[in-house]
Amino acid sequence: MRVVEGIEREEDRQIVTTRLISAPRELVFRAWTDPRHLERWFGPYGFTTTTRVFEFRPGGVWEFEMHGPDGTVFPNLIEWVEIVPPELLRYRQQGGRDDDQNAFETTVTFADRDGATELTLRTIFRTKAQRDYVAENYGAVEGAIETLARLTAYVGELEGAGA
Amino acid sequence: MARATTTSDVFNAIGEPQRRRILTLLRAGELAATEIAEELDLAASSTSKHLRVLREVGLVRVRDEGRQRYYSLDATGLRQVHEWTGGFERFWAESLDRLEAYVGELQRKEEDDACG
Repeated sequence: MRVVEGIEREEDRQIVTTRLISAPRELVFRAWTDPRHLERWFGPYGFTTTTRVFEFRPGGVWEFEMHGPDGTVFPNLIEWVEIVPPELLRYRQQGGRDDDQNAFETTVTFADRDGATELTLRTIFRTKAQRDYVAENYGAVEGAIETLARLTAYVGELEGAGA
Repeated sequence: MARATTTSDVFNAIGEPQRRRILTLLRAGELAATEIAEELDLAASSTSKHLRVLREVGLVRVRDEGRQRYYSLDATGLRQVHEWTGGFERFWAESLDRLEAYVGELQRKEEDDACG
């Protein structure tokens, strides 16, 4: 077997999400450019967002906290790397100021599709392990993770037993 | 996919530590409400309040026998919890649902403004 040295392949370290939204891309883009807008939709249902700092320019940051449905607070820091209205956003994200070892980078593209917008989010992680961890645990409320894991295993048992 | 944010939400139910303790206890099998209260060292009234929340979201089921009420885990609500644990993918699926709804709202508002 060949030993792979150095960095893992990009396709093993990324997560790509796409969505077609029936609105012009100028409008979809605008929903990303202002905390007033971002706070209305960023995060899963049941989460709320509080903005501390917002500077929408390359090198500027969006510093915010996300509050989970059980009150768990997730500090977040996004640094805008590239801004091309209304086509592209690139940002680096980490959990608060001191969490840069867990940072990852996302490129969001806004493609015009006959007046609708095809949104593509491509997030690249440092390692496959980091990707896999985030894929499973991102946004999961800390206090509940253990219970969730145990209960989901239990659901599997119940289903296996035909309950 | 979309999750409502009400008190009847499974995730809210499971967010409370005492209720998680109850669910953990019930993994071993059916228990009477009085046994649960004793095990958790909780008043009967607050135990029954927690059990009611868990029952309403389909995490536990109840069976009456004589003067006792027996509780056991219910797979119905657990399945929803199972579906929730999508991590990053779930985060963005729900965020993009919300973005889509919000952008629709913005669009309608701007059309109204243009007409007015």
